[in-house]
Amino acid sequence: MNDKSTWAFGTRQVVYGAIGAALYGVFSWATNIFPLPAAGNVTFRPAVAVLIFFGAAYGPWVGLLAGFIGNTLGDALSGWGFYWNWSLGNGLMGMVAGLAMAAIKDFRAQADIIKAVGWGLAGIVVGMLFASLTEMITGGIDLNTALIGYFTPAVIGNAVVTIILVPILMIAFAAVAAGRGR
Amino acid sequence: MLVTWKYRRRNTIIQRLDPRTRLVFFVFVILALTIPDIWDLRIILPLFAVSLTLFLLSRIEWKDIRRILPYMFILVFFIVGLNGLLSGRGGPSSVTNLPSPVVFEVPIKIPFTDIGWDIPITVSKMWFAITQITRMFTMAMLVIPIPYTMDPNIYGTAFKRMGASDKVSFTMDLAFRFLPTFARDFTITMDAQRARGYELEKLKGGLVGRLQRLAPLIIPVVMQSTVTGEEVIDAMDLRAFGTKPRTWLRDNLKYAGRDYVLLGLGVAIFILCCVLKWGFGIGGYFVPEFFLNLFV
Amino acid sequence: MSDKPLVVENLTFKYRTRPELAIEGINLELKQGELLLIAGSSGCGKTTLARCINGLIPRSYRGERSGKVLFHDREVAEIPIPEMAQVVGTLLQDPERQIVASNVYNEIAFGPENLGLPHAEIFSRVDQVLKRLNLEYLRDRETFNLSGGEKQKVALAGVLTMNPSVLLLDEPLASLDPASAHEALQVFRSLADEGKTVILVEHRVEDAIEARPDRLLYMEDGRIKYLGPIRDLPPEIDHRQVKLPAPWVVQRVKALGEPLEESPRRKVEERGEPLVVFEDVDFRYDDEFPLILQNVNLNIYPGDLIAVLGPNGAGKSTLVKHSIGLLKPTKGRVLIGGEDSRKMSVAQIAHTLGYVFQSPTHMLYAPSVKEELEFGPKNLGYDSALIPKFVRESLSAVNMTGFEEYPPLGLSFGQQKRTTIAAVLAMRSKILIMDEPTAGQDFANYTHFMEALCKTSDGAHSVLSANFAATLFITHDVDLAVTYANRVLLFGDKHIIADGTPEEVLKDESLLLKYRVRPTSLLRLNLELLPKTGGFLPAESLAYYAS
Repeated sequence: MNDKSTWAFGTRQVVYGAIGAALYGVFSWATNIFPLPAAGNVTFRPAVAVLIFFGAAYGPWVGLLAGFIGNTLGDALSGWGFYWNWSLGNGLMGMVAGLAMAAIKDFRAQADIIKAVGWGLAGIVVGMLFASLTEMITGGIDLNTALIGYFTPAVIGNAVVTIILVPILMIAFAAVAAGRGR
Repeated sequence: MLVTWKYRRRNTIIQRLDPRTRLVFFVFVILALTIPDIWDLRIILPLFAVSLTLFLLSRIEWKDIRRILPYMFILVFFIVGLNGLLSGRGGPSSVTNLPSPVVFEVPIKIPFTDIGWDIPITVSKMWFAITQITRMFTMAMLVIPIPYTMDPNIYGTAFKRMGASDKVSFTMDLAFRFLPTFARDFTITMDAQRARGYELEKLKGGLVGRLQRLAPLIIPVVMQSTVTGEEVIDAMDLRAFGTKPRTWLRDNLKYAGRDYVLLGLGVAIFILCCVLKWGFGIGGYFVPEFFLNLFV
Repeated sequence: MSDKPLVVENLTFKYRTRPELAIEGINLELKQGELLLIAGSSGCGKTTLARCINGLIPRSYRGERSGKVLFHDREVAEIPIPEMAQVVGTLLQDPERQIVASNVYNEIAFGPENLGLPHAEIFSRVDQVLKRLNLEYLRDRETFNLSGGEKQKVALAGVLTMNPSVLLLDEPLASLDPASAHEALQVFRSLADEGKTVILVEHRVEDAIEARPDRLLYMEDGRIKYLGPIRDLPPEIDHRQVKLPAPWVVQRVKALGEPLEESPRRKVEERGEPLVVFEDVDFRYDDEFPLILQNVNLNIYPGDLIAVLGPNGAGKSTLVKHSIGLLKPTKGRVLIGGEDSRKMSVAQIAHTLGYVFQSPTHMLYAPSVKEELEFGPKNLGYDSALIPKFVRESLSAVNMTGFEEYPPLGLSFGQQKRTTIAAVLAMRSKILIMDEPTAGQDFANYTHFMEALCKTSDGAHSVLSANFAATLFITHDVDLAVTYANRVLLFGDKHIIADGTPEEVLKDESLLLKYRVRPTSLLRLNLELLPKTGGFLPAESLAYYAS
């Protein structure tokens, strides 16, 4: 059960995938309700930090499920609809972030925090690139529009949130994990 | 703060459809528009009519979507407008580079500098924008009703029936189970921190500081959920989760006549678009005479 | 196959992550239809024993195990997992975390679905269990909206659909109010009567004996200290570790020959100007919703130590949220320090009233205890030069000096609870409000916690009286009201039913029962001895007066 292997997929991954998804959905939705900092077209969704953290803590499958299902739930709760490509993009974001898991030994150690944030940023680029590029095909926009209209603002917003909040989440998690003995 | 689903039981033909039918139909429409690369408004408009009909059939009340719709319009106009300004370098919209009369020019300047361009808005670009907006809404109108008309409780089963594994499908169900719990936890944490003088409305400092000041709201909810998870794992293992292929109790999804009709329509649309484009060369982008005449 | 549902032979276990043995040399044999009560304080090893019995050890928890756990002669580690759930069914402590489906029917069907049983079989099993537990009225409900007691029953139903021959109930009463706990215990008894072997793990012995267990197993430090009939309970069993009925405690104290002395009368403080005033308060969330509070009038005076009793959903929390301004009255007004709460922000009110929420995990977030404690005073705009002093003093008050740099999230539950009190202390609030201060702690821990807060010795101030002008706490535990409060509010049906000293309010048993407050043995003994004592006392102190 305490499987640290990156690609294991059992009850643990199902449970944390679901928990991550529910948190991602709730926080995404809450962002619509409470005033949060925004600059121009860039919105800062704290939910993204939670997703990256879940990836880092529980691995790529959890990141994928939490991102995909979480984004679907967030859109459903807000009444937007179902945008498969953005859900999948969010899934990829969490999945790539999850590749950090195997490398993390101590959630408090600076080096490990940097690894998690680094993989998180990579995930953000991959995930948002995927979603933006699919918009080219479905929406018929060109590459510049995809990059400037979708990709850049999404990456900036998500990256800022990740750099600031993921370390805080990891340090808190180190304390919680230490207090448990599984 | 209570999680309230947009879903409500309505006695509509849309809600009697199998959830899979709607998703598969949506996929066919996307494929019909994208694979043969349809940009002919004469073909897109009938499809738009089909989408609009299905949208209206779901009988979503105006009060449900009045908050969302303006955002949706702003986003679509922003993206289409941006596209109009930037277009010309790859992607389907490179068609707009065809020589076409210039209607007006938009001057763009990098703020605080003298560097800038005059972007010509041509007749072709304007027609493209109209086509693009119609095309986007043709697809969007098929997915906007989903949260309002599909019972969240069957998302998992629908996943399962579309070929996802037991575990992935159950993750969906389990996420639904936790959603209201975490929304409630979030409210309690909010109250608990407010009782300690925390005021979200008065977040001070720059961007970094303000995001950091969200920690008192986020950390308790997330950390509690990580502890909860350990016990949920035990609870599920103790009831034999994942040990055998699962029975899905709500697995009574069956295609009915109406489902086959809609699926048939989806297939027909796809084939028709392919045949028109590849067989007869109809469906590519062009600016109709009458539109051109408006400006010259 | 032997007819013994469960045999434990010389069982010892050590967790991989810990140096010491969790349990050692456990021997136990259970008969069909037997109800065994396992008791002991936190860390005595009862949870580990439970995990060995339901197979989570060695499957999910790693460590070194020796000895045997046999179900009908089959070793637990060798029973395939799908079969395991049909051998022993486990009800976990918190139904909130056991329930995995959004609606009742699916929750109960979850196990059989996992076994891949045919639809018809699942429907018939679920319907049978719904009927057996009288839960038919819940079948179409969403699990999220159930009460604690209902959740517990639904979770139990989900276990029973697997048809296990042994039932393991791990602290099933922890999250229930007394009336629901009483109902649950009756169900456990009847299941044993029907032939299931039931293992009830519970530190509240006083409550658990309502299920008439056949035997008691008492553990300390990972070993069995007593195993036998409840009637012959040896005096070695520590009445401070598990909650025993008051008359037993009295007997034990006497038998142990501890010095008996007359108890000092509880001081009744001088009443000055009221600190908080509720004037004809009505509250509803929205015009469409029914009233939650109706015509509530209440004054909180300096020196008050108020226990608020009453059933779930009666509006206790709503009442308390009004006093800290999280909610504002629909009609009437709430005055805090003479000022209308409508004109004050929650942050302004926090200068006067501090609220400790039920679960510390809902508020603890900071990387260190020091930062956690600085959070409130900083928000309230105290001079930053004063804050270190506030932090130091409040930590010392809850006896946690030295923990400044510890991460609160890594502390034990009891320490976390004390940190939350210190966090309110550091805000220099004048009134302390606590929601279920003992929830989530076992008997030994919460007694220690309440003693540390409330105990006065030789006329000196308690932590509470030294730091707060008044304290109010919501509780399900009548004994807390009996032991610690000097004023009791019985809240029910949208308003205050009774308000007075514990002796006045708690003497009317029928009134209590009407509002789902169950009288305890301590209350009954106190009422019996009231002519001699002149006031309510803890069980140990009653020994002096009992003949």
